[in-house]
Amino acid sequence: MELSLENIDLTLGGKPILHDVGFTVPDGAFASILGESGAGKSTTLKIISGLVPQDSGRVLFDGACIDDVPTHKRDVAIVFQDIRLFPNMDVAHNVAFPLKMRKVARAERMRVAEEMLAAVHLEGFGRRRTYELSGGQQQRVALARALAARPKALLLDEPFSGLDEQLRDEMRTLVSSLHERFGMTSLMVTHDPDEALTMSDAIMFMSDGRLVQAGTPADMLLHPAHEAVSACFGDAAAIEGAVAGGAFTAGKLALPAPDVPDGPAVLVRVPDREPFVHAL
Amino acid sequence: MTAATGQNAQLAARVRRARRGRAVARALVGVELALVALPLAIIAVWAFTDAWPWPDLWPQQLSARGIEQALSGRQNAGVQTLALSIGIAAATAVVSTAAAALACRALCHFQWRGRSAFQFAALLPFIIPSTVFAMGVQVVFLQAGLARTVPGVVLAHSIVALPYAIIIMTDITRAAGTRREDAARTLGAGTWQMLRHVTIPQLLPGILSSLSMCYIMSFSQYFLTLLVGGGKVQTFVLVLFPYLSGGDRTIACAYSLVFLVVTFAVFFVFELLLRRFGVREGDDLYD
Repeated sequence: MELSLENIDLTLGGKPILHDVGFTVPDGAFASILGESGAGKSTTLKIISGLVPQDSGRVLFDGACIDDVPTHKRDVAIVFQDIRLFPNMDVAHNVAFPLKMRKVARAERMRVAEEMLAAVHLEGFGRRRTYELSGGQQQRVALARALAARPKALLLDEPFSGLDEQLRDEMRTLVSSLHERFGMTSLMVTHDPDEALTMSDAIMFMSDGRLVQAGTPADMLLHPAHEAVSACFGDAAAIEGAVAGGAFTAGKLALPAPDVPDGPAVLVRVPDREPFVHAL
Repeated sequence: MTAATGQNAQLAARVRRARRGRAVARALVGVELALVALPLAIIAVWAFTDAWPWPDLWPQQLSARGIEQALSGRQNAGVQTLALSIGIAAATAVVSTAAAALACRALCHFQWRGRSAFQFAALLPFIIPSTVFAMGVQVVFLQAGLARTVPGVVLAHSIVALPYAIIIMTDITRAAGTRREDAARTLGAGTWQMLRHVTIPQLLPGILSSLSMCYIMSFSQYFLTLLVGGGKVQTFVLVLFPYLSGGDRTIACAYSLVFLVVTFAVFFVFELLLRRFGVREGDDLYD
């Protein structure tokens, strides 16, 4: 599903939150909204899901305005940073919840729940209580639950922030592969520049309630058009990847690297310098 | 060598202190239990006593007179009186808990003009002495045609119980938040589905505490029932009270015993419900 926002404005309690936000995520693409906390990223997801109505502007699914469609009929699922599983249900019933809401027969619900748990590598966890699981397992259950809804768009609100670094890497790989496998449109909110660079087909950069730049990961990295963008990419970091035929790739990030031999390589970002690729 | 003995002595002292602490704790629990259990035991014995002259330690003669009287009541209406009281108390519990749940939702999850005033008004019956409150309610209910009716009594009881219900429900409503409700909506739950599967289960411990509290408030209400019911609505406490003040200890204690058993039975049912819904397992409900 193609997801579009047009001229979204929002003021909450006299405080301007969003100003003239508009972008389009093509069908099947993985897009990220990147920005500092308080930039209005999560609120943008709430507007897409209908949890918060915008003051003006439109939300379009496949070109059709869905502003009058209530949240539960929009078919977009959110994976939240704070997970939000239902403690009164076991793991399988959590995952089957969206199907129950759609009045799917019990046997089918349980079958799909098992299938989705297998997709997030949690086979056989169905009978467990949610609080028996670790944080990473809980977040995978939340992911399975969102996928069970067969959403037209999957919205991810800083889904990895609560996890430790190693789990985060595993979850990123899992989310990317599930995105490919289910072929849905995905939109992820994050404040981690490397996460956005390696996972996304497109990045929208938000600052202070405005969309300041949108483009491919390479565009954003090499040609930041706003000081907030260059500040975000300005800290020192290294992304591991590989070079083949004069191009560096790490996940979905692809940059020209003409003088680097093929093989494993690392992209290095240093403050106040062009990012460069170094062979390992 | 000396250092080691010194350490051992310290350790022994610590163990002694810990033991003494535990003994004190046990003694306190014993006193507490005795304070609750002894009067109850005496009530239980008196309920089956025919004659217990001073200074005997044990009644001269036991009989079932009291219990028979309590269950048959005046004009053989004992069981009906009990059923009516349970009905009124249960209805009160449901009405005030439902009202409190809605009020807490409005108070905790929404910003609106007049919110503080509403909160104060909701807790007002707390501050006004219940006799004063009963007089006022009686006047209003007489005009409204609610006086001397069962619904009138239920309503009056509900107003008195509401502040307690609100206080019980406020914290859990705030702790539960709307986060899981939002998640349920994005997963396809309509309003009623969300209430049934997410909102009520996550508030259930509070709902059941509030039901119990309001039930007991109503079940033990005397003056308000007398005034609003006008003597026409005969609850268990109204029948029990004259025996307490009139001095027939056997019958008064028998009534008290039935009162206790019924209350425990109702609480037991609430507790079963709680287990049935399985919300007490684990403690991540309030995270």
